[in-house]
Amino acid sequence: MTIWSRFSAPLTLRISAVLTLIGLALMVWSMVEPTPLPVMLAMTVGQGIGTLAFGIYVFIVVRELRREFRRARERDPS
Amino acid sequence: MVSWIIANPFIAAAVACATGSAILLLWYLLRRPALTNATKLVLLAAIGVLPLATATTGNVAGYEATKARRFCGSCHVMTPYRDDSQDARSAALAARHARNALFGDENCYACHADYGMFGTVTTKLGGLRHVYEYLFHYRNMPLDEAREKIHIRRPFQNATCMHCHSTEGPSWNAIKDHASLLDRVRGGQVSCASAGCHGPAHPFSKPAQTSATPAQPPQPEHVP
Repeated sequence: MTIWSRFSAPLTLRISAVLTLIGLALMVWSMVEPTPLPVMLAMTVGQGIGTLAFGIYVFIVVRELRREFRRARERDPS
Repeated sequence: MVSWIIANPFIAAAVACATGSAILLLWYLLRRPALTNATKLVLLAAIGVLPLATATTGNVAGYEATKARRFCGSCHVMTPYRDDSQDARSAALAARHARNALFGDENCYACHADYGMFGTVTTKLGGLRHVYEYLFHYRNMPLDEAREKIHIRRPFQNATCMHCHSTEGPSWNAIKDHASLLDRVRGGQVSCASAGCHGPAHPFSKPAQTSATPAQPPQPEHVP
């Protein structure tokens, strides 16, 4: 059992959703106030957080798909 | 602010995508629906597609924003330069160029950006160095002290002027000083911004100059 398998899919996706909201807030801030600090934060931290959130989403979806395939194979080994 | 967002299609698109994504995410966080295939598709839009669109259009909008005069003037040490160049009564070289519609609100970038294939990249890297210097050295410096200590890193290159003033036109060459200094101007031995020629672009920031100055530092001689 890996550390990742301890996190349920809904909980992990909620974390991913919150991270996405933080990333979006940084990106929108840079457009509302286009000064050096917000623009740099949006292009580095904001996009980094957004990428991390999307990575978590992909990880969870792939993990769930693999589990479904495994269950299907166990039900019908042929 | 709303009119400013609507006026820029990239900002409008980025804000619209971010709003759409935020609505879907808040719906997911507050309603906590079962993780069906439909929910996964909604999350794909909310976590993947729409934020990616926001980042893409936001990058373009951010890049454009970094070219604006108000962006350059947002660091307090640059406010005298910004104020002078947007002063309609100023006779400074920078202000006269800012009144040209081709430069307009992007007059700082138009004159200070590097050219060539990687000009944009080197300009942005230089901008990062500016931010670093500002945050760690000049953030709390009074304006009077900043005016004494902050100077352009390299002498202003005539090549920048020559992107618009090619030195080939008959009206340019009809001016006697231009014609007599043609090779030295093209070679960078005499700066367009010398005292006695056009003068510095930001005269308030320069001590009085009495003679023509080189546009480039002298090159070291190669010793075989």
